[in-house]
Amino acid sequence: MVTVKNVNVSRSRQGGLPAFLGATLAGLVLTIPAPAQAESDGVPLHGFADAGFAMHSKESPNPKGFNVGSLDFYLTPQFDNNVKGLIEIIFETTSAGEVATDLERMQMGYTFSDNATVWMGRFHTPYGYWNTGFHHGAQIQTAVSRPRFLDFEDKGGILPAHMVGLMANGKVRAGGGKFTYDAFVGNGPKIGMAQDLVVTTTQAPGTLSINTAGDDNHQAMVGLNLGYEFSGMADGLRLAVHTFRGDVGDDSDGTFSLTLLNITEVSMAGGSVAYLGNDWEVLGEYYRFNNKDKSGTTGSHSSWADYLQVGKTIDNVTPFIRLEKTVLSQLDNYFSMQDSGQSYNRQALGFKYDISQKASLKLELLNSKFMAESGRIAYSYRSLLTQYAIRF
Amino acid sequence: MKSTYFRFFSTVLLALSLSQVAYAADAIVISNPGTTISAGEVKEIFLGEKQFAGGTKLVPVDNAALQESFLSKFMQMAHDKYNSMWTKKSFRDGLTAPAVKSGDAEVIDFVKRTPGAVGYVSSAPAGVNVAK
Repeated sequence: MVTVKNVNVSRSRQGGLPAFLGATLAGLVLTIPAPAQAESDGVPLHGFADAGFAMHSKESPNPKGFNVGSLDFYLTPQFDNNVKGLIEIIFETTSAGEVATDLERMQMGYTFSDNATVWMGRFHTPYGYWNTGFHHGAQIQTAVSRPRFLDFEDKGGILPAHMVGLMANGKVRAGGGKFTYDAFVGNGPKIGMAQDLVVTTTQAPGTLSINTAGDDNHQAMVGLNLGYEFSGMADGLRLAVHTFRGDVGDDSDGTFSLTLLNITEVSMAGGSVAYLGNDWEVLGEYYRFNNKDKSGTTGSHSSWADYLQVGKTIDNVTPFIRLEKTVLSQLDNYFSMQDSGQSYNRQALGFKYDISQKASLKLELLNSKFMAESGRIAYSYRSLLTQYAIRF
Repeated sequence: MKSTYFRFFSTVLLALSLSQVAYAADAIVISNPGTTISAGEVKEIFLGEKQFAGGTKLVPVDNAALQESFLSKFMQMAHDKYNSMWTKKSFRDGLTAPAVKSGDAEVIDFVKRTPGAVGYVSSAPAGVNVAK
């Protein structure tokens, strides 16, 4: 197990930036008119907030007790008929107890028609359903936790949950339903090694970093998420396939040199199913990796990850169950250099109780088992998570 | 005595059936004079799926006084579900939920002066298009 202190994951700490972002948000609220609407309407500020309590069995590396989750603000300004924006700022506590601020999304869009919008900036990477559907919106998410492999880059995720670049998306009527697409090209991540480490085992200490300021190599990450939304008898059902590809490097000696020591061509393909109808919520996603070592001689390595979650709303209560599993090759630098790149399986069971339309209480039990692999120690633990989540 | 009960219940039933007719017929969808939409497009517009009519950006607005009736008649959706749907859509796709006006007068005023505006009222005034 690795203990990492003061890991800088491109998030600012308390001080100047939060104040600046807060002032910017306030300025936007006060100054952006919604052009086609009454001038006095302004732009509504929306958001999410949550707090919770966690208990874990003793092998867990996660903190226990009460916790403040996140405070998330977002705006959807419409600058004119075709030009719009999506701006999201989040304040959240780190496991070290500090408040981190992140410019979560800053994407400016141009809508050509009902079928096509092009965005530039920082956005949620469009793969599967969960990452774009829920992300920091805890109150609209049934479970307390995300599937671990889909978590945020600095919280156990193994995929780039954020991207800086260009994205095109839209829907086209086809048959009785709609064909949907999201296509993107962006900087792609690197695996950032912690600057100030206290390493207690040989486990890899790296975390995906999304290269907000510019790419660190000459190959962009490209991806596609193609889906079909059914109507009629199957209304609420969406089936999709997704893929992305790009080079990801790491500075595995932790010196922050400009030379990336390992370069891996990451190729992912998979699919997702989402059914949100008749009070059912069925979500499933599958990711297959075939990654190629471009800087060494270890060749190509296959890995996979998936989850399935099923829930059913009865009055104000939605009980759910989720199964998740990953099999990640430790010969693959992309996984072996990530702290969270260890294979695991997890079962989650819980419920969400909607106190009102905008407030929910959740309870969740987790059983997590991490596998013994090269450079990794096997461990397992159980957790009880509760969360009080609101939206506004 | 029996006839008194009969008259009472008949009156109640008649009142209930009339109120049901009025409820179902309450919401009439109107649009800015420069924008023509069909009744079949209303659901798509208020779901944010149809954003343009020709080259004009559509601007749907809700009417708080008639929202339940409208959602039932045109959207086949409860109020809670409609709001949740818009939260998810706004958060994921960056769409702006329809502004909520307090009643017919505000909706009519807004629709008349805003290109692409679409709203619903209890009776259609002159100077707007009615969705058919």
